[in-house]
Amino acid sequence: MDLTLGAVLRRGLLAGLAAGVAAALVALFVVEPVIRDALVVEEARAAAEPAGAHEEELVTRTTQVIGGMLAAVVVALCLAVVLAVVFAAVRHRLPGGTDFGRLGALAAYGFVTVALLPGVKYPANPPAVGDPDTVTTRTLQYFSLIAAAIAVTWLAFAVRNALRRRDWPAPRAVVVSTIAAVTGYVLLLVLWPANPDPIPADIASLLWRFRLASLAELAALWGTLGLTMGLLLTTRRTPATPATAAT
Amino acid sequence: MSVPIPTTTLAPVRVSALAWFAVAVAAALIYLLLQENGALLAGAADFMHEFTHDGRHALGVPCH
Repeated sequence: MDLTLGAVLRRGLLAGLAAGVAAALVALFVVEPVIRDALVVEEARAAAEPAGAHEEELVTRTTQVIGGMLAAVVVALCLAVVLAVVFAAVRHRLPGGTDFGRLGALAAYGFVTVALLPGVKYPANPPAVGDPDTVTTRTLQYFSLIAAAIAVTWLAFAVRNALRRRDWPAPRAVVVSTIAAVTGYVLLLVLWPANPDPIPADIASLLWRFRLASLAELAALWGTLGLTMGLLLTTRRTPATPATAAT
Repeated sequence: MSVPIPTTTLAPVRVSALAWFAVAVAAALIYLLLQENGALLAGAADFMHEFTHDGRHALGVPCH
Protein backbone atom coordinates (compact mmCIF):
# COMPACT_ATOMS: atom_id res chain seq x y z
CA MET A 1 0.00 0.00 0.00
CA ASP A 2 2.00 2.91 -1.29
CA LEU A 3 1.32 6.41 -0.16
CA THR A 4 3.12 9.38 -1.66
CA LEU A 5 4.17 12.53 0.12
CA GLY A 6 2.08 14.58 -2.28
CA ALA A 7 -1.05 12.60 -1.43
CA VAL A 8 -0.45 13.14 2.30
CA LEU A 9 0.28 16.85 1.81
CA ARG A 10 -2.84 17.49 -0.26
CA ARG A 11 -5.05 15.83 2.36
CA GLY A 12 -3.15 17.62 5.10
CA LEU A 13 -3.71 21.04 3.54
CA LEU A 14 -7.42 20.35 3.05
CA ALA A 15 -7.70 19.26 6.68
CA GLY A 16 -5.65 22.31 7.69
CA LEU A 17 -8.14 24.58 5.97
CA ALA A 18 -11.02 22.88 7.80
CA ALA A 19 -9.10 23.16 11.09
CA GLY A 20 -8.41 26.84 10.45
CA VAL A 21 -12.08 27.57 9.78
CA ALA A 22 -13.10 25.66 12.94
CA ALA A 23 -10.52 27.55 15.02
CA ALA A 24 -11.54 30.89 13.48
CA LEU A 25 -15.19 30.24 14.35
CA VAL A 26 -14.28 29.39 17.95
CA ALA A 27 -12.13 32.56 17.98
CA LEU A 28 -15.06 34.68 16.81
CA PHE A 29 -17.78 33.21 19.01
CA VAL A 30 -15.89 32.02 22.10
CA VAL A 31 -12.63 33.96 22.45
CA GLU A 32 -13.65 37.40 21.17
CA PRO A 33 -16.39 38.01 23.78
CA VAL A 34 -13.80 37.43 26.52
CA ILE A 35 -11.27 39.72 24.78
CA ARG A 36 -13.94 42.44 24.66
CA ASP A 37 -14.44 42.11 28.42
CA ALA A 38 -10.66 42.25 28.93
CA LEU A 39 -10.39 45.42 26.84
CA VAL A 40 -12.99 47.11 29.05
CA VAL A 41 -10.71 46.39 32.02
CA GLU A 42 -7.69 47.67 30.06
CA GLU A 43 -9.45 50.91 29.18
CA ALA A 44 -10.59 51.44 32.76
CA ARG A 45 -6.99 51.08 33.90
CA ALA A 46 -5.66 53.36 31.16
CA ALA A 47 -8.22 56.00 32.14
CA ALA A 48 -6.84 55.94 35.68
CA GLU A 49 -3.33 56.72 34.38
CA PRO A 50 -2.13 60.26 33.61
CA ALA A 51 -3.10 61.59 30.18
CA GLY A 52 -0.62 60.87 27.40
CA ALA A 53 0.11 57.35 28.62
CA HIS A 54 -2.49 55.94 26.25
CA GLU A 55 -1.30 53.82 23.34
CA GLU A 56 -2.08 54.95 19.82
CA GLU A 57 -4.41 52.52 18.06
CA LEU A 58 -2.54 51.18 15.07
CA VAL A 59 -5.37 49.09 13.70
CA THR A 60 -9.07 49.05 14.53
CA ARG A 61 -10.75 46.39 16.64
CA THR A 62 -12.58 45.01 13.62
CA THR A 63 -9.28 44.58 11.80
CA GLN A 64 -7.86 42.78 14.82
CA VAL A 65 -10.81 40.38 14.97
CA ILE A 66 -10.40 39.59 11.27
CA GLY A 67 -6.63 39.36 11.75
CA GLY A 68 -7.11 36.94 14.63
CA MET A 69 -9.32 34.68 12.55
CA LEU A 70 -6.98 34.88 9.57
CA ALA A 71 -4.03 34.08 11.84
CA ALA A 72 -5.86 30.96 13.03
CA VAL A 73 -6.37 29.81 9.42
CA VAL A 74 -2.73 30.44 8.40
CA VAL A 75 -1.38 28.79 11.56
CA ALA A 76 -3.66 25.78 10.98
CA LEU A 77 -2.38 25.47 7.39
CA CYS A 78 1.24 25.70 8.57
CA LEU A 79 0.66 23.11 11.30
CA ALA A 80 -1.00 20.91 8.68
CA VAL A 81 2.14 21.05 6.51
CA VAL A 82 4.29 20.10 9.51
CA LEU A 83 1.92 17.31 10.57
CA ALA A 84 1.66 15.94 7.01
CA VAL A 85 5.42 15.79 6.43
CA VAL A 86 6.15 14.34 9.87
CA PHE A 87 3.37 11.80 9.36
CA ALA A 88 4.76 10.78 5.97
CA ALA A 89 8.23 10.42 7.46
CA VAL A 90 7.28 8.30 10.47
CA ARG A 91 4.06 6.63 9.27
CA HIS A 92 5.61 3.16 9.05
CA ARG A 93 6.72 3.42 12.69
CA LEU A 94 3.50 4.78 14.20
CA PRO A 95 1.09 2.68 16.27
CA GLY A 96 -2.56 2.47 15.32
CA GLY A 97 -3.01 -0.20 12.66
CA THR A 98 -4.83 2.11 10.22
CA ASP A 99 -3.89 5.49 8.79
CA PHE A 100 -6.76 7.00 10.80
CA GLY A 101 -5.32 5.53 13.99
CA ARG A 102 -1.73 6.43 13.16
CA LEU A 103 -2.62 10.02 12.26
CA GLY A 104 -4.84 10.24 15.32
CA ALA A 105 -2.01 9.16 17.62
CA LEU A 106 0.38 11.66 16.03
CA ALA A 107 -2.14 14.53 16.13
CA ALA A 108 -3.10 13.76 19.74
CA TYR A 109 0.54 13.86 20.80
CA GLY A 110 0.98 16.99 18.69
CA PHE A 111 -1.83 18.75 20.56
CA VAL A 112 -0.44 17.72 23.95
CA THR A 113 3.13 18.68 22.99
CA VAL A 114 2.70 22.09 21.40
CA ALA A 115 -0.67 23.28 22.77
CA LEU A 116 -1.85 21.62 25.99
CA LEU A 117 1.50 21.44 27.79
CA PRO A 118 2.52 25.08 27.18
CA GLY A 119 -1.13 25.98 27.92
CA VAL A 120 -0.87 24.36 31.34
CA LYS A 121 2.57 25.73 32.24
CA TYR A 122 2.07 29.19 30.76
CA PRO A 123 -1.71 29.68 30.60
CA ALA A 124 -2.92 32.10 27.95
CA ASN A 125 -3.67 35.64 29.07
CA PRO A 126 -5.96 38.17 27.44
CA PRO A 127 -4.52 41.43 26.07
CA ALA A 128 -3.35 43.93 28.71
CA VAL A 129 -2.21 41.33 31.25
CA GLY A 130 1.36 40.58 30.14
CA ASP A 131 4.20 42.93 31.07
CA PRO A 132 5.90 44.24 27.87
CA ASP A 133 9.25 44.22 29.70
CA THR A 134 9.18 40.47 30.24
CA VAL A 135 7.86 39.44 26.83
CA THR A 136 11.25 38.23 25.56
CA THR A 137 11.77 36.10 28.69
CA ARG A 138 8.27 34.68 28.42
CA THR A 139 8.70 33.97 24.71
CA LEU A 140 11.94 32.11 25.42
CA GLN A 141 10.32 30.08 28.21
CA TYR A 142 7.35 29.24 26.01
CA PHE A 143 9.28 28.09 22.96
CA SER A 144 12.01 26.27 24.89
CA LEU A 145 9.27 24.35 26.73
CA ILE A 146 7.73 23.36 23.39
CA ALA A 147 11.14 22.30 22.04
CA ALA A 148 11.78 20.16 25.14
CA ALA A 149 8.26 18.71 24.95
CA ILE A 150 8.88 17.69 21.31
CA ALA A 151 12.03 15.89 22.49
CA VAL A 152 10.05 14.06 25.21
CA THR A 153 7.35 13.05 22.72
CA TRP A 154 9.97 11.80 20.28
CA LEU A 155 11.60 9.79 23.09
CA ALA A 156 8.25 8.27 24.08
CA PHE A 157 7.69 7.07 20.50
CA ALA A 158 11.28 5.75 20.42
CA VAL A 159 10.63 3.80 23.64
CA ARG A 160 7.46 2.35 22.18
CA ASN A 161 9.20 1.22 19.00
CA ALA A 162 12.16 -0.23 20.91
CA LEU A 163 9.78 -2.31 23.03
CA ARG A 164 7.90 -3.48 19.94
CA ARG A 165 11.19 -4.58 18.39
CA ARG A 166 11.72 -6.67 21.53
CA ASP A 167 8.37 -8.32 20.79
CA TRP A 168 6.46 -6.67 23.60
CA PRO A 169 2.70 -6.87 23.06
CA ALA A 170 1.37 -3.63 21.56
CA PRO A 171 -0.79 -2.60 24.56
CA ARG A 172 2.08 -3.01 27.01
CA ALA A 173 4.46 -1.04 24.79
CA VAL A 174 1.87 1.73 24.54
CA VAL A 175 1.31 1.82 28.31
CA VAL A 176 5.04 1.96 29.09
CA SER A 177 5.72 4.65 26.47
CA THR A 178 2.74 6.66 27.72
CA ILE A 179 4.12 6.50 31.26
CA ALA A 180 7.49 7.65 29.89
CA ALA A 181 5.84 10.55 28.08
CA VAL A 182 3.77 11.67 31.08
CA THR A 183 6.80 11.43 33.39
CA GLY A 184 8.80 13.54 30.95
CA TYR A 185 6.02 16.13 30.63
CA VAL A 186 5.61 16.42 34.41
CA LEU A 187 9.37 16.87 34.79
CA LEU A 188 9.28 19.70 32.24
CA LEU A 189 6.36 21.36 34.04
CA VAL A 190 8.30 21.23 37.32
CA LEU A 191 11.70 22.22 35.91
CA TRP A 192 10.71 25.13 33.66
CA PRO A 193 10.65 28.56 35.34
CA ALA A 194 7.36 30.19 36.23
CA ASN A 195 5.87 33.08 34.28
CA PRO A 196 7.60 36.16 35.77
CA ASP A 197 4.52 38.37 35.48
CA PRO A 198 2.34 38.96 38.52
CA ILE A 199 -1.17 37.67 37.88
CA PRO A 200 -3.79 40.33 38.57
CA ALA A 201 -6.09 38.74 41.16
CA ASP A 202 -8.95 41.16 40.56
CA ILE A 203 -9.72 39.68 37.14
CA ALA A 204 -9.14 36.02 38.05
CA SER A 205 -12.45 34.79 36.65
CA LEU A 206 -11.91 36.73 33.43
CA LEU A 207 -8.45 35.17 33.12
CA TRP A 208 -9.80 31.65 33.44
CA ARG A 209 -12.63 32.26 31.03
CA PHE A 210 -9.99 33.44 28.56
CA ARG A 211 -7.69 30.48 29.21
CA LEU A 212 -10.46 27.96 28.67
CA ALA A 213 -11.57 29.80 25.53
CA SER A 214 -7.99 29.76 24.23
CA LEU A 215 -7.70 26.02 24.92
CA ALA A 216 -11.04 25.52 23.18
CA GLU A 217 -9.69 27.24 20.07
CA LEU A 218 -6.52 25.14 20.13
CA ALA A 219 -8.52 21.96 20.71
CA ALA A 220 -10.85 22.85 17.82
CA LEU A 221 -7.81 23.40 15.61
CA TRP A 222 -6.03 20.17 16.51
CA GLY A 223 -9.16 18.06 16.79
CA THR A 224 -10.43 19.10 13.37
CA LEU A 225 -6.97 18.77 11.85
CA GLY A 226 -6.40 15.25 13.21
CA LEU A 227 -9.87 13.87 12.56
CA THR A 228 -10.28 15.40 9.10
CA MET A 229 -6.84 14.41 7.90
CA GLY A 230 -7.30 10.90 9.30
CA LEU A 231 -10.63 10.62 7.54
CA LEU A 232 -9.22 11.91 4.24
CA LEU A 233 -6.36 9.41 4.43
CA THR A 234 -8.84 6.61 5.10
CA THR A 235 -11.21 7.34 2.26
CA ARG A 236 -8.43 7.82 -0.24
CA ARG A 237 -8.98 5.73 -3.33
CA THR A 238 -6.65 2.77 -3.40
CA PRO A 239 -5.28 1.54 -6.73
CA ALA A 240 -7.09 -1.26 -8.55
CA THR A 241 -4.59 -3.76 -7.20
CA PRO A 242 -6.02 -4.95 -3.91
CA ALA A 243 -3.90 -4.09 -0.90
CA THR A 244 -2.08 -7.11 0.41
CA ALA A 245 -3.10 -7.93 3.95
CA ALA A 246 -0.36 -5.74 5.23
CA THR A 247 -2.09 -3.56 7.79
CA MET B 1 19.67 -10.63 11.06
CA SER B 2 16.94 -8.11 10.73
CA VAL B 3 14.49 -7.68 13.56
CA PRO B 4 11.19 -6.57 12.08
CA ILE B 5 8.84 -4.42 14.08
CA PRO B 6 5.59 -6.38 14.01
CA THR B 7 3.48 -3.43 12.85
CA THR B 8 6.05 -2.24 10.34
CA THR B 9 4.87 -3.95 7.23
CA LEU B 10 4.30 -0.56 5.61
CA ALA B 11 6.73 0.78 3.09
CA PRO B 12 8.18 4.10 4.27
CA VAL B 13 6.88 7.14 2.44
CA ARG B 14 9.62 8.92 0.52
CA VAL B 15 10.08 12.35 2.09
CA SER B 16 12.29 14.70 0.09
CA ALA B 17 14.56 17.41 1.47
CA LEU B 18 12.20 19.92 -0.11
CA ALA B 19 9.43 18.68 2.19
CA TRP B 20 11.56 19.37 5.25
CA PHE B 21 12.32 22.80 3.83
CA ALA B 22 8.56 23.35 3.62
CA VAL B 23 8.30 22.34 7.29
CA ALA B 24 10.97 24.91 8.18
CA VAL B 25 9.13 27.60 6.20
CA ALA B 26 5.83 26.70 7.90
CA ALA B 27 7.47 26.86 11.34
CA ALA B 28 9.05 30.23 10.50
CA LEU B 29 5.69 31.54 9.31
CA ILE B 30 4.04 30.44 12.56
CA TYR B 31 6.80 32.23 14.47
CA LEU B 32 6.45 35.43 12.45
CA LEU B 33 2.70 35.40 12.73
CA LEU B 34 2.42 34.58 16.40
CA GLN B 35 5.59 35.80 17.94
CA GLU B 36 6.60 39.00 16.28
CA ASN B 37 7.03 40.96 19.47
CA GLY B 38 9.97 42.80 17.99
CA ALA B 39 12.50 40.08 18.76
CA LEU B 40 13.38 39.64 15.09
CA LEU B 41 11.84 42.29 12.89
CA ALA B 42 11.90 45.14 15.42
CA GLY B 43 9.59 48.06 14.67
CA ALA B 44 8.95 47.10 11.07
CA ALA B 45 6.46 44.50 12.21
CA ASP B 46 4.23 46.72 14.31
CA PHE B 47 1.34 46.39 11.93
CA MET B 48 1.78 42.62 11.72
CA HIS B 49 1.89 42.47 15.50
CA GLU B 50 -1.34 44.40 15.93
CA PHE B 51 -3.07 42.67 13.03
CA THR B 52 -2.54 39.20 14.49
CA HIS B 53 -2.84 40.41 18.09
CA ASP B 54 -6.14 38.69 18.90
CA GLY B 55 -4.99 35.54 17.18
CA ARG B 56 -1.82 35.42 19.21
CA HIS B 57 -3.59 35.82 22.53
CA ALA B 58 -6.29 33.36 21.50
CA LEU B 59 -3.74 30.71 20.55
CA GLY B 60 -2.04 31.14 23.93
CA VAL B 61 1.27 32.60 22.78
CA PRO B 62 3.02 35.04 25.16
CA CYS B 63 2.38 38.70 24.43
CA HIS B 64 2.16 41.94 26.37
